Amino acid sequence: MRGLPDRKTGWLSWLSTTDHKKIGLMYIYATFLFFMLGGVEALLMRLQLAQSQNTLINPQTYEALVTMHGTTMIFLFVVPVLAGFGNYFVPLMIGARDMAFPRLNALSFWLLVFGGIVFYMSVFFTPPNTGWTFYAPLSDSAFSPSNGVDAWIFLIHLTGLSSVLGAINFVATIHNMRARGMGWARMPLFIWGILIYSYLLILALPSVAAAVTMLLTDRHFGTGFFDVAQGGDPLLWQHLFWFFGHPEVYIMILPVFGMISEIIPVFSRKPVFGYKAIAASTAAIAFLGMLVWAHHMFTTPTPIVVLAFFMLSSFAIAVPTGIKIFNWIATMWRGALVFKVPMYFAVGFIAQFLIGGISGVMSAVFPVDWQLQDTYYIVAHIHYVLFGGSVFGIFAGLYYWFPKMSGRMMNETLGKVSFWLMFVGFNMTFFVQHALGLEGMPRRIYTYQSGYGWDTENLISTIGSFILAAGILVTLFNAVRSVKTGKKAGNDPWNANTLEWFTPSPPPENNFDVIPRIRSAEPMKDIRREVAAAGRPAGSVAQPVAPGT
Amino acid sequence: MEVGSIAADLHEQEHHGPPTPNQSSRVDAQTLGIYLFIISEIMLFGAFFTAYFFLRVVKGDPWPAPGTTIPVGIAAVNTAVLVSSSFTMHWANVSAKNGNRPAMRAGLWATFFLGLTFLSVQINEYVHLGWSPQDHAQGTIFYGLTGLHGAHVTVGLLLLLFANIRANRGHFSPDAHRGVEIPGIYWHFVDVMWIFVFFSLYIL
Repeated sequence: MRGLPDRKTGWLSWLSTTDHKKIGLMYIYATFLFFMLGGVEALLMRLQLAQSQNTLINPQTYEALVTMHGTTMIFLFVVPVLAGFGNYFVPLMIGARDMAFPRLNALSFWLLVFGGIVFYMSVFFTPPNTGWTFYAPLSDSAFSPSNGVDAWIFLIHLTGLSSVLGAINFVATIHNMRARGMGWARMPLFIWGILIYSYLLILALPSVAAAVTMLLTDRHFGTGFFDVAQGGDPLLWQHLFWFFGHPEVYIMILPVFGMISEIIPVFSRKPVFGYKAIAASTAAIAFLGMLVWAHHMFTTPTPIVVLAFFMLSSFAIAVPTGIKIFNWIATMWRGALVFKVPMYFAVGFIAQFLIGGISGVMSAVFPVDWQLQDTYYIVAHIHYVLFGGSVFGIFAGLYYWFPKMSGRMMNETLGKVSFWLMFVGFNMTFFVQHALGLEGMPRRIYTYQSGYGWDTENLISTIGSFILAAGILVTLFNAVRSVKTGKKAGNDPWNANTLEWFTPSPPPENNFDVIPRIRSAEPMKDIRREVAAAGRPAGSVAQPVAPGT
Repeated sequence: MEVGSIAADLHEQEHHGPPTPNQSSRVDAQTLGIYLFIISEIMLFGAFFTAYFFLRVVKGDPWPAPGTTIPVGIAAVNTAVLVSSSFTMHWANVSAKNGNRPAMRAGLWATFFLGLTFLSVQINEYVHLGWSPQDHAQGTIFYGLTGLHGAHVTVGLLLLLFANIRANRGHFSPDAHRGVEIPGIYWHFVDVMWIFVFFSLYIL
């Protein structure tokens, strides 16, 4: 370390850092903070709906909670927490020393933080209450004169810029900085997930950035993009919003697919089944995902032939998604399954994501959607893919990578308790919402009459949501406790396959002293085999034994 | 290969840092980064073009708004000005690669002033159009697209100004001229995008 400037210490070292690992950790801390805020908002809504004609929360506050919960979970939790894991693990998994643009990386993180602060400042004047989709004309100044909508617009600008810059950084890093020998077909599947996530962000986010800019000028400068009186069209908002909004759901799931594809082979003690099929289906999902946006708009005045196109393209996505699910099951098939906590969450992910996928195909049938649109069925569907899918996957990733990030193991028993609470609580909360939706309960209503037969199901859902919250708290407690008292993890506690386990836990600032040459998609397996064969220390295998590859 | 890595190691010892990481792509990260950024810019323009084509194709509204005109002649001359600035930019870039500093500096300044001319003519057009973005959706979209483009021209001019200042201070050599190349890529993008804006708003 000769010649390097002195490092700052203490909290300044965090504020001024450009190290991808510190930035990754800050992403994870900040987004989990927002996750708790969004969770409290959800619990307040569930409390209000626990019984009919409840007067706990007034309608304006309820709609503000709906809006803030959706916005927080999507823009301030799931998308950026994946950027956080990506930040920490992309350079480690491809054998690089940092991201391609470290200072840009720090900028991305701070833009996210300030986006979140700007948005939450609206709590002190008037929070927006239009729902997270901000449909014009409801979001226009005539119907939403308060500045809450503007706070949301600036949140989209700031977090959008954060995500696009972060995505450019990921793509440049992955294209440019892979270890010697790591060809495209040897990249870890999590890297594939982050790569495609980044391309989708670059392609989809500008659409919503443009849309909110138009909304801003409509609201404050009298332009007429969405105003019918001036010859504009509110439907334009829906097209621009969903052209972003649908790829966004794949943005929130593809890196999680990657995590699951890393975790399942490790805990099945088998190579992943169909590596190339999983990588290719990720790209296929992204491509098809850009062509399905109007399935969110089946109840708008749109020609039937257009609806049919969007129905069929939505069906087509089930094919590459199904390929992945079969690949994960085939990976587990006849494997020596090791049921550690990451595997619990991964298997829970597969089951719940499957339910969410199937209800998605159902609501992609447009005559069916005419019945289901804006009901709790859609709420149940989105939570099965976003919570049962993405969040369970993120928890799997947290348990899997915590030893690498902190150097210590998380408690297995607490982890299993947390999983079962979350699994039972989640399904209790959201499974009944399918029934509520089919019985006609609309989403985003702050209360309901008692005679509709929705009381029992709503009460079950509310109780479930508190069990779910308890499960999440157990994991947070487990994480905080394990940082200090967990047992030492060592380099590679799981006997895993990928390069991040080659270096100490937590990794040193330069990540690797030597970067091994990569000869397969599972470099750690090669390294363990060589160490076993030669009886040499692990570091010495970095020198290639034979030329080539 | 072996010789190369030994040379690289010696290079490292001179520079006291950790060894340089492997580069797995022929394109360097900075150039790749600006191309990716331009993809996102194209999508941003795409959203505004969507607003335009939604009005004209899906809704079938007239263009321009009834009773208004768009001055095509001046804009065509202005287009020629902007397109020629792409050639001067290319000249600057090639000269930087060849180590011809006077030509590089002439090219950079020429590009900057051509761009500035374009922007002034656009502002002059705004002043004399006689209708505003608040009048009708056609006005909103016209000012929206040309304004978005004008904002990009402004950013491009700032980048060029910065490159000019650096050139005056003696920066850039045949081995290190990324500070000319990357503003150049951005400037070409701004030019090409204008051709689409011009054909859609003025000609179609």
